[in-house]
Amino acid sequence: MKRLRPARPGFACCLAILAAGCSFIEPVAPWEKGTLAKPEMGFDAARFDARYDEHIYTSREAAPAASGVGGGGCGCN
Amino acid sequence: MQLTRPPKRAEEKPKAALMLAAALALPGVLPARAETAPEYGMIGVRYLHYLDEQSGLRRITVNSPSLVFLAPIAGEWSLEGGLTTDNVSGASPRYHTLVAGASKMNDRRRAGDLRLTRYLPWGTLAVGAAYSVEHDYGSKALSVQASVSTEDKNTTLHFGLGGANDTINPVNTVVVNEKKRTTDLLLGVTRVVTRKDIVQFNLTQSAGHGYYTDPYKTFDTRPRERIHNAVSGKWNHHFSGSGGTSRLSYRFSSDSFKTRAHTFSEEYVQPLPEGWTLTPSLRYYSQSAANFYVDAVYDPVLGPPFLAGIRPGSRQYISMDQRLSAFGAVTYGIKIARQFGPDWSAEVKLDRYEQRGSWAMFGNGSKGLDNLTANFVQIGLYRRW
Amino acid sequence: MVAQPTIDATRDAGMTVEFNAMGGPCELRLAGLPADSANRLARAAIEEVHRVEAKFSRYRADSIVSRINAAAGGKWIACDDETNALLDYSDAMHAASDGLFDVTSGILRRAWDFDRSSVPSAARLAELLPLVGWTRVQRRSGEVRLPERGMEIDFGGFGKEYAADRAAALLLDGGALYGLVSLGGDVRVLGPRPDGRPWSIGIQDPRDPGRIAAHIEVIEGALATSGDYERYFDLDGQRYCHILDPHSGMPVAAWRSVSVLAPLTVVAGGHATVAMLKQAIGLNYLDSAGVPYFSIDAGGHFHYKNIGKH
Repeated sequence: MKRLRPARPGFACCLAILAAGCSFIEPVAPWEKGTLAKPEMGFDAARFDARYDEHIYTSREAAPAASGVGGGGCGCN
Repeated sequence: MQLTRPPKRAEEKPKAALMLAAALALPGVLPARAETAPEYGMIGVRYLHYLDEQSGLRRITVNSPSLVFLAPIAGEWSLEGGLTTDNVSGASPRYHTLVAGASKMNDRRRAGDLRLTRYLPWGTLAVGAAYSVEHDYGSKALSVQASVSTEDKNTTLHFGLGGANDTINPVNTVVVNEKKRTTDLLLGVTRVVTRKDIVQFNLTQSAGHGYYTDPYKTFDTRPRERIHNAVSGKWNHHFSGSGGTSRLSYRFSSDSFKTRAHTFSEEYVQPLPEGWTLTPSLRYYSQSAANFYVDAVYDPVLGPPFLAGIRPGSRQYISMDQRLSAFGAVTYGIKIARQFGPDWSAEVKLDRYEQRGSWAMFGNGSKGLDNLTANFVQIGLYRRW
Repeated sequence: MVAQPTIDATRDAGMTVEFNAMGGPCELRLAGLPADSANRLARAAIEEVHRVEAKFSRYRADSIVSRINAAAGGKWIACDDETNALLDYSDAMHAASDGLFDVTSGILRRAWDFDRSSVPSAARLAELLPLVGWTRVQRRSGEVRLPERGMEIDFGGFGKEYAADRAAALLLDGGALYGLVSLGGDVRVLGPRPDGRPWSIGIQDPRDPGRIAAHIEVIEGALATSGDYERYFDLDGQRYCHILDPHSGMPVAAWRSVSVLAPLTVVAGGHATVAMLKQAIGLNYLDSAGVPYFSIDAGGHFHYKNIGKH
């Protein structure tokens, strides 16, 4: 099995490429965003649920469950 | 009623199409659709109960009530936060799965966090603080976050910087006042792709140094430094036919302990009549073992605590912590929510988590691990105002 | 150009506020918001509608429109940004309609008295027509001047639609996801009903005020109607309505009503009015604009395209 290596140096490039790729997409006009405004279409809609997910996974898996920054640790780590 | 389809006509010059452009120049006819301060506040109480089981043995029970709130302030600010108490009871995690006879434990963890966000025409600024206290472990964290949106609000960049300061004082006093300091960085972009699709990519790095060892485990010595990188992609798609929303995400992460993890998750939010919402979810997680992880397989001659093929003291770092082993895990669950009028809502979420060495995505997974299962029940009640 | 669609009332409709503005019945629907927020937002939206009405009404002597008209043939009038934006829009509408949509055509009402049911003489129209002509309106940085005494401008052709869009933007920015703003029958939908179903908007039968000719389903965007039944008289079997061709001074006659679906109410209303004014080639115009429409011709036949009619 080929080992995967951390993609650290490519991280910034990655974002630049994604941003460039997105510019080919037809922009969505403000009046077309009714659906996008639904809470379930947002990424921080489940902010109360995120705490719960951390509860489930932090004490059982190696990868940090927190998706943001500065969440604070606990002894279960 | 007489219906007549319009006959095909020669195209007139598309002067008519200019009207939209002219209308868009009118002031205030379009919503800014910038991320705005929430229009209403919310307060909720949640209660989480879970049970970890291994080999049919009841292990840890956690009862965790919490309070969450979100309050708009003066139209341009919001304050959100939460308070949680975890009451843990049951057997402590066995230091590895081959040794039975875990000691009884009871513990309580209290945690709180607060975040203040300022909403500006171009984006948001936020500061946050969090703390967590247990009898042997304390953590304080601070963070700052910013987001910047493009003029058309279709692209938003996110930046985050956080720091945590932990203090470890195990009851067995193998170490006293040990520290762990962590710095987190976040770089992300959210992009509206179509009127029904929105994607987000995040890069996070967490660099920490200090005490990572588990003080309660006999054979456990870990590096004092851990650097963790993760890249994630999320895609939300709305189905106009069913009115449901799919929320798909993938994350790859790797760290200096040489664990690598893939996480795939999908949840589908289906609104139903009478204010009901049903959200089934599925998640698959797989990680490779840390490079200092050893399977808890004992020397066939010497027996415990001598590990097969490992001479005592021959290794700088060692751990038999199941969390650092190679395994796969599946979570499946369902959330049932009901809105009662515009102000009240309630939800029940049920999840089952199963972890097995044999479910590792690559390789065979670590040996000698008991399958771990956990059942979660969560109840929440929310009030908006 | 006011149609009077009825909005069907079904459960999950949330809060409904009825009020009068812009010379007609108006309605706000807001669903899925806590009562306090909905009330607060509704108040702000209604206030905004009244603000637009007061600021641009030609019936109020202190409005900017009245001041511009009073100074016709005289001095330049300085305008604020919003007024200048409406003047820019007037210019764009005039260009997009080949001169048919003209905010200076309101003075033709002096010849057309819809209460007296009489057709003005050609001589009377000939007196007034020289005073009609957007191209004669003079503009320089932030100022406007009507060159001849007796000339008038009037934003009535899109003022109601503009107010609906302003109110809708305010509601959307306030977090409203589900609801609509209806000003005298021109409807801007903020978003569907809370369960995702569209709002069903009735199009009035132009010849029977109590009857709905069709229901049109709208999830988001605006539906505006221009019709020959708002102010009119019938004489010798011929309908004379208030939508007047600025070139001839005569009422249009090809369509009983035209309803257009567009992202913004100003755009929907603009296209509907221009299609009425284009008369025989009204549908060519709508096709070239690429907008969904529902129209009823002078014979009562329905013509529609890309519209969720039922």
